[in-house]
Amino acid sequence: MPTKYVLIGNSAASLAAVDGIRKFDKQGEITIINRETGPAYSRVALPYYVAGEMTLSDLLIRQQPDYQKIGVSLVEKENVKAINASAKQVELESGRKVSYDKLLIGTGSETVVPPIQGLAQVSHHYLWTLDDAIGMKKATEKAKTAVVIGGGFIGMLAAEALRKLKIKLTIVEMAPILLPQLLDEGAGNLFLKAVRDEGVTVRTGSLVSAVAQKNGGIEVSLKSGDTFTVDMAVVATGVQPHVAFLQNSGITLNKGVLVNEYLQTNHPDIYAAGDVAETKDFLSDERSIYAIWPTAIDQGRAAGANMAGIKQAYPGSLGMNVVELFNVTLAQLGRFREGPRDTVKMLSPKEDESSYRKVVVDKNGTMVGAVYVGDENGVAEMGVIHSAIKRREKWQGFKDGRPPKFSYGAVMHNVPQY
Amino acid sequence: MKQIVVHQEKCTACRECEVSCSFSHEGAFVPTLSRIRVADFYEEQFYQPMVCVHCADAPCAAVCPTVAIQRQADGQVRVIDDRCIGCKMCLLACPFGVMGFSPEKGVAQNCDLCNGDPQCVQFCTPGALEFADVVAASAPARQKAAAALGLPQA
Repeated sequence: MPTKYVLIGNSAASLAAVDGIRKFDKQGEITIINRETGPAYSRVALPYYVAGEMTLSDLLIRQQPDYQKIGVSLVEKENVKAINASAKQVELESGRKVSYDKLLIGTGSETVVPPIQGLAQVSHHYLWTLDDAIGMKKATEKAKTAVVIGGGFIGMLAAEALRKLKIKLTIVEMAPILLPQLLDEGAGNLFLKAVRDEGVTVRTGSLVSAVAQKNGGIEVSLKSGDTFTVDMAVVATGVQPHVAFLQNSGITLNKGVLVNEYLQTNHPDIYAAGDVAETKDFLSDERSIYAIWPTAIDQGRAAGANMAGIKQAYPGSLGMNVVELFNVTLAQLGRFREGPRDTVKMLSPKEDESSYRKVVVDKNGTMVGAVYVGDENGVAEMGVIHSAIKRREKWQGFKDGRPPKFSYGAVMHNVPQY
Repeated sequence: MKQIVVHQEKCTACRECEVSCSFSHEGAFVPTLSRIRVADFYEEQFYQPMVCVHCADAPCAAVCPTVAIQRQADGQVRVIDDRCIGCKMCLLACPFGVMGFSPEKGVAQNCDLCNGDPQCVQFCTPGALEFADVVAASAPARQKAAAALGLPQA
């Protein structure tokens, strides 16, 4: 009897899990349950669609025949109501029941709705799903001004898309810098200046307390008492694991679905990967959720292999981000804000004000993080640092984008194999 | 698969490879646009040409959020310009730092093997670059390493 694999979710984690399964099991039956419709699209590319740089069909990362080719059946527009672990069944909201031998929870995350007074009564946009992006693009056709509530990763990507459409922007961020989960103070200040130089109003250290419809516009009130009016509001105050449907499933939850190093939940036949999974962290003993594309891919592949019966330990998640915004390239790896026992190595010369290259080294001399601001040329160096962090290499200095005597061989030995 | 094989010990950091690569691809002698770069450690007299090795399990392709990096029938790992959104996740994923970026086109770029006639190899005077099957070309080095470890010889 071929193994029945059921994967909930149709994005990075599930698609990588299909690859992981198919590497070791060509016969098993794979079913993907998707609450949206159509083949998978790239969430990462949504801002580029809003900016008019990509069409809807460009966003697709799979075509309908791709699923058939590798023996995957798609159940579309179906929400999972509950998981019955003892009967090994997934119950859908339509009443349909799907049996599994191995189940993957890859439901990702959903947007957080912030406690802003009047938000429900005012038209506003998120940028998380394809429908969100379509709605936002439509709204940009008439808008001349916009507020972006939240200057994190998604907020800034939304802001960049709106800037490309020549919409006048105000960004409101709680922290003293933009992108606080990506930049330390030094890099943050450099970036803040670049954004302000583009004519964007940035209110850091600010909270939006209320929004209201007024004279055809949206009046935004800040906690400080200031108010201003815009045509369009974008809300990007974070995402959280999509776990509500698991409340009574008996699956252990914390912030996300708790999994062991084999991406297994407390039920040995149920796995989780991607934004929804709370896994071990690469750098500490703590558990973490980074909610980024690369960790979803790594976890999905490892989960798929384990579901197919090949024991494969997941080494833990390492934060990594790169983005070009307002003509500046930013990148971050691991623990980029130094702790009390870490030391900092600055790679950029002091007199260089256009770039910021920092590596964080822990008390044992091991590289644990890095942050970069500059032009696109510096990101390749961050790639080298990334692989060095993953190999837990000691700091030996860095020159010309590489540690001394850098060779292919040393790296290849230790590149993770899936 | 034939690809660019690097014989590091022969490299003199003359950078003919960088200018020939940028000239053949971009029409300009601009080393920073080259898809092959020589990392130089002058004090140690150690020069390492770095170029895409078209990894069997390529981290750049795995991480690409738009499936813009695809393995071709001949084995090479290629960036499909039309699909690339320029997010640079592949640059951050490449352990060798050999995924590049074209600011002009706004897309990632790696070695495309010049349709089977790599210009860097043509112009490498010291003979540090070779266009060859990597498994065959690296056999002597592997045998030497095995001998150093006291392993039996084939």
